[in-house]
Amino acid sequence: MEKQMIIAIGREYGSGGHEIGQKLAEKLQINFYDRNVLDRAAEERAVDASKLRKYEDKPRNLLLSRTVRGFSNSPEENVAHMEFDFLKGKAESGESFVIVGRCGEDILKEYEGLISIFILADMNQKIERIKQVRDLSDLGAESAIYRHDKKRKAYHNYYCQTKWGDSRTYDLTVNASRLGIDGTVEMLAEYIRFRMK
Amino acid sequence: MAAQIVAVVIFIAMFVLIVLDEIQREFITLGCGLLTLVLVFGVCMRNMDAVWETLNLRSIFTMEFWRTVGTAEESTSGINWATIIFIAGMMVMVEGMARVGFFRWLCMRLAKLVHYKTIPIFISFMCMSFVLAMFIDSITVILFLAAVTVELAKLLKFNPVPMIISEVFCANLGGSATMCGDPPNIIIGTSFGYAFGDFVTNTGLIAFISLLFVIVYFYFAYRKDLATDAGKQIDLSKMPEPRSAITDKKGFIISTIIFICAIVLLVTHASTGLTVAFIGLFIAVVTLLTSGRHALRLLRKVDYKTLLFFIGLFVVVGGLEQTGILEIVAGAIEKISHGNSRLMIAIIIWVSAIASAFIDNIPFAATMIPVVRTLAESTPGMSLSTLAWALAMGTDIGGSATPIGASANVVGTSVAAKAGHPIEWGEYCKKAVPATVLVLLISTVLIFVRYL
Repeated sequence: MEKQMIIAIGREYGSGGHEIGQKLAEKLQINFYDRNVLDRAAEERAVDASKLRKYEDKPRNLLLSRTVRGFSNSPEENVAHMEFDFLKGKAESGESFVIVGRCGEDILKEYEGLISIFILADMNQKIERIKQVRDLSDLGAESAIYRHDKKRKAYHNYYCQTKWGDSRTYDLTVNASRLGIDGTVEMLAEYIRFRMK
Repeated sequence: MAAQIVAVVIFIAMFVLIVLDEIQREFITLGCGLLTLVLVFGVCMRNMDAVWETLNLRSIFTMEFWRTVGTAEESTSGINWATIIFIAGMMVMVEGMARVGFFRWLCMRLAKLVHYKTIPIFISFMCMSFVLAMFIDSITVILFLAAVTVELAKLLKFNPVPMIISEVFCANLGGSATMCGDPPNIIIGTSFGYAFGDFVTNTGLIAFISLLFVIVYFYFAYRKDLATDAGKQIDLSKMPEPRSAITDKKGFIISTIIFICAIVLLVTHASTGLTVAFIGLFIAVVTLLTSGRHALRLLRKVDYKTLLFFIGLFVVVGGLEQTGILEIVAGAIEKISHGNSRLMIAIIIWVSAIASAFIDNIPFAATMIPVVRTLAESTPGMSLSTLAWALAMGTDIGGSATPIGASANVVGTSVAAKAGHPIEWGEYCKKAVPATVLVLLISTVLIFVRYL
């Protein structure tokens, strides 16, 4: 049986981390999970994922929720755990996959095949990328980057014991501006091959 | 003065930390309790008697703690051990019942009885939630009821949210009907020496009348949401058989007998003289003795965190009481109401309700006990029992208004969210706030008419 590999990718907004994850999954011929994790988790419960989407990637609201005997009534926390449970189920089944975001590097850390990577990029390149994708001005793109990264950090740091973007959290922290998207994918694929030996 | 300031600061810090929910709440109350003992009683007051009075350990070793003749009143200050022992005992019994599948069986049986029709399930589950919560903690009631509701909703293809919100509301309402239904009532009952019958004939009557209005209200509020697939043919063969819920037949029979015994002991405790502490301990011992090899597992499943939370909480409130802060609060209420009984009752009900809608009603009720006692003593013609019923209804019902107001609400909305049906504040409050106001109005009017 082939060795299980779970590639957990954390990324800065606009760094191209999502695309890198996608290309890496194609290259390694394994499943790719991102936003579709929620679709699948909702499908298992026979509910509409669009109703859950607004609670995704958010920490719980401290003042508007409570926990009683381990039961939290925060929609954000419950949606997060739905996704975590889905990913743990996949990992438990022995499946190999790439997961972008969703605290993969922390919630799946007990699995031997986990390789955690954080993708960052230079600010000017992130701005250019966001401008292309979202049709924003320089200022708009920069503020979107700050906003999204702040949100991702809050989400990650609430649910995980490790810190978002901190090199100690990941096996590898890579600046995608140095090698570009494809170059970074090549380099990471090589690294993964080494790790899987 | 310094002791009063420190006691208030500790109390406020405790509340803020409980609301923030960052640290486990038992650590918060125990830590604040320790600070009260050291800083308030030790450093500021230099009064060892206050420490002993608050710890209240001597009371456990008196005969009156277990069996009394006449009214069984707990000591005025400090840790209410009767409440803690009773709740612990009931927790053991409930764990025993859960282990054998009692609650799931009951829910499934009821659903089958009404032929799995949505509206009859909706109404019968509200009634069952009310009745069960009269004797069992509302968290357990909702835990099982909401889980079965989600399961049935999946099979019968209806939205479980309206049903869960209604069940939660009725569990809180049922809890207000008896002395053992809701922790504030146990605290009120043991602190003022009231019996099970006192609650049933006073808050119970109000709760029963309110239930009728609440069922009608929720029916009209939710009939459209629940009637969506009502005309659809249901394949009854796919429904889970109630018997399949029972995991241990012999244990099931024993648990049912113990539950009935607990109800009988509670209903008759005024005439037998057995205190709730005795009943709690007795029920726990019998449950453990009859559980055989499962006894240790049951003991492990007891929610010790909640019991520790209570202990710390009583110490912090003891700090406020010993330093005279609660007398000042009582004085303020008296001043605002100018000794007007109606206004005083209205303040107790509505302030308790509004506070309980946002903060845990247990610390609030524990804090208000000495306030209510002082008010009854200082206001001519004001009966302690009238204020006690007002406090009970306010704290028990107020918690129903928001998703975080009472433990049952949190558990109910959590079960729904785990199943993919998150309930937002707006959705919850839209239906729960009018129902809460309705019951509070009924309570206020009935208390005015009956007692004033």
